[in-house]
Amino acid sequence: MIITGGITILPSCSGDPAKSSIQLNNLDISAAQEALLAEIAETFIPKTDTPGAKELKLHLFVLKMVDDCYPEADQKLFVSGLNSIDEIAKEKYSLAFAACTQQQRAGLLNSSEKELEASGDVLTFLNITKRRVIQGFTNSKFVMTDMKQYEMVPGRYNGYFPLTQQA
Amino acid sequence: MPQLNTDSIKERTFDAIVIGSGISGGWSAKELTEKGLKTLLLERGRDVQHIKDYPTTNMLPYEFEHRGEVPLAIKEKSPIVSKCYAFREDAMHFFVKDDEHPYVQEKPFDWIRGYQVGGKSLLWARQTQRWSDFDFEGPARDGFAVDWPIRYNDIAPWYSYVEKFAGIAGNRDGLKELPDGEFLPAYPLNAVEDYFKEQVKQNYKGRYVISARAAHLSQPQPIHIEQGRGQCQNRVLCQRGCPFGGYFSSNASTIPWAIKTGNLTLRPFSVVRSIIYDEQKGKSTGVKVIDTNTKEEIEYFADVIFVNASALNTNLILLNSTSHRFPNGLGNDSGVLGKYIAFHHYGGGVSGRYEGELDKFRTDGRNPAGCYIPRFRNVYQQETDFLRGYAAGFGAHRGFYSDTSPIGTSLKENLLNRKLGSWHVSSHMMGETIPKEKNNVTLDANKKDGWGIPQLKIDVDFDDNDAKMLQDYFDQVSEMFTAAGFKDVKTSKREGAPGLDIHEMGGVRMGHDPKTSMLNKWHQLHACKNVFVTDGACMTSTSTQNPSLSYMAFSARAVDYAVGEMKKGNL
Repeated sequence: MIITGGITILPSCSGDPAKSSIQLNNLDISAAQEALLAEIAETFIPKTDTPGAKELKLHLFVLKMVDDCYPEADQKLFVSGLNSIDEIAKEKYSLAFAACTQQQRAGLLNSSEKELEASGDVLTFLNITKRRVIQGFTNSKFVMTDMKQYEMVPGRYNGYFPLTQQA
Repeated sequence: MPQLNTDSIKERTFDAIVIGSGISGGWSAKELTEKGLKTLLLERGRDVQHIKDYPTTNMLPYEFEHRGEVPLAIKEKSPIVSKCYAFREDAMHFFVKDDEHPYVQEKPFDWIRGYQVGGKSLLWARQTQRWSDFDFEGPARDGFAVDWPIRYNDIAPWYSYVEKFAGIAGNRDGLKELPDGEFLPAYPLNAVEDYFKEQVKQNYKGRYVISARAAHLSQPQPIHIEQGRGQCQNRVLCQRGCPFGGYFSSNASTIPWAIKTGNLTLRPFSVVRSIIYDEQKGKSTGVKVIDTNTKEEIEYFADVIFVNASALNTNLILLNSTSHRFPNGLGNDSGVLGKYIAFHHYGGGVSGRYEGELDKFRTDGRNPAGCYIPRFRNVYQQETDFLRGYAAGFGAHRGFYSDTSPIGTSLKENLLNRKLGSWHVSSHMMGETIPKEKNNVTLDANKKDGWGIPQLKIDVDFDDNDAKMLQDYFDQVSEMFTAAGFKDVKTSKREGAPGLDIHEMGGVRMGHDPKTSMLNKWHQLHACKNVFVTDGACMTSTSTQNPSLSYMAFSARAVDYAVGEMKKGNL
């Protein structure tokens, strides 16, 4: 089992090391693409003194969502957008994305939104990835439970809770 | 062999049969079994036992594979139910998938169904407002439909009866148009809700903002503890089924209660094809059931039948129960069966933002009830160019947000250190629609479902009255918001078909006259006295209140009458 932000996802049955580590029904993702996506997710939410996207396996959550919750057209844009990232990195920095510094990576992901508006696939890819990485992060066990952003069973209601008071 | 056959018939014979185990059927079964009748409770779907069969109830948001979202493949297979606000990953197993239970849409109609023990009582919004005589007298005063054969005084003691058992939180607000009931402590309004309540009181005569009466155990009483239910824990994850029994459902309350009497036989996987009419006896003798696992047709017999299959399916069963005496459906001498279908209109919303000194407060914990604005239009007299009116839900909420524009460590910092947003206010409309002959359901002549039962053909649409009412709701509530000083006041219209309001009613309406109605004041078919209908099909008009509480009271009252009549030998 693979835990992504707190939930288990079925590992791939193929056991093929060249393929994605999780079972996907619609997408065909290689291990290399998965590794690149992990680096991109980590660029959005890096490890600091707390876990980052890669450690929380948020890239696998992104793949799961794209695989199950998007129409085929978006899935295609997502994959071709993902594939373009290394090319853009090489053009910009003459390096593969994974070899870039955090600053270069961030520069690339930020600039892509503005500069590459003509390239619909990269924008779609980045929008989906950013949205789902953020969702996976804020809905992770780390943020919800460890960082106490979610309370499942409040057992109370106060409609006049003063801001000066700690919850 | 004859002996065997007799034994088999004996085994299939009960004092009473209840068709459907949702909110009204659960009550029928509870009342019948408590009064000592051996009762067969038929449910077309699977069994759902309290707690045991709530698979998602204790799951944290991150334990859902898609964090609550319904996968596209499921949405594409079920486009209608996918429009429903509650059809999410945590509760989708309690909804009927479109492709499994087809029906014919003569005009677009989003029919939202829950086929399992407990029906939609697992999923309901738990709002429980009483009707008043302003509602029961509506059709007679305004000249539509037919006169209700009952008035508030007939039903008031039964409202009290079911409220005490179900557990209703609410305030005694002293409003004629929304009578008080037997209440547990109300859920309090929050700072901005109280502010709006005061503003409305100052600015308008006859308009009120109250804490909505809701079927939540804010303070359980011994009768609730005896049901095995406990205090509502403010999770507001009700649609998953509540492990505390904090809100009322058939599963948590009436069905286990009926089972405890020793008089209940619960039979899931049992689709009722038709009700059997005995021409010699001049009454119904039982029902024909299809076992959905074996596809076998089985007959069950009883002295009295309660039809609680949910409004439109009750119509379907009666339409499909034909005999020499009733060629057009059971009890359908008048020809009104399946006609005068109406619904609630939830198609409008108004939102806004509060800024001011109450920004020093937020909420803590969660409120399962919200606020309610009782109908204020055309209550005492006709005052607009449309008939009837609307109630409205209201709520003020304050959430957290993060600036998600950066990436990297600053994005992460923002997500970990959320900012408190401003107070947002919102309202939704709950409009009454006018029952009309042309809004009807019939059986399709050719199309059948998986059990060989004709598919229901639904021909229901909005009308001009609905459009005018929606506009008035927008105008009035926007004005109320603006007068209260709310900013960014916006209206929103929900596009789409009727049905999504999940309050379809009528088709087997009550009335004094057998020539123009199906049921008498005791919910008996005029022409077949041992068949009772106490679900939404019986509704002569819809008014604005969420209807479930009335169905509960109707069921308890009708059972009391039926058992009395049986004792007198009249049934």
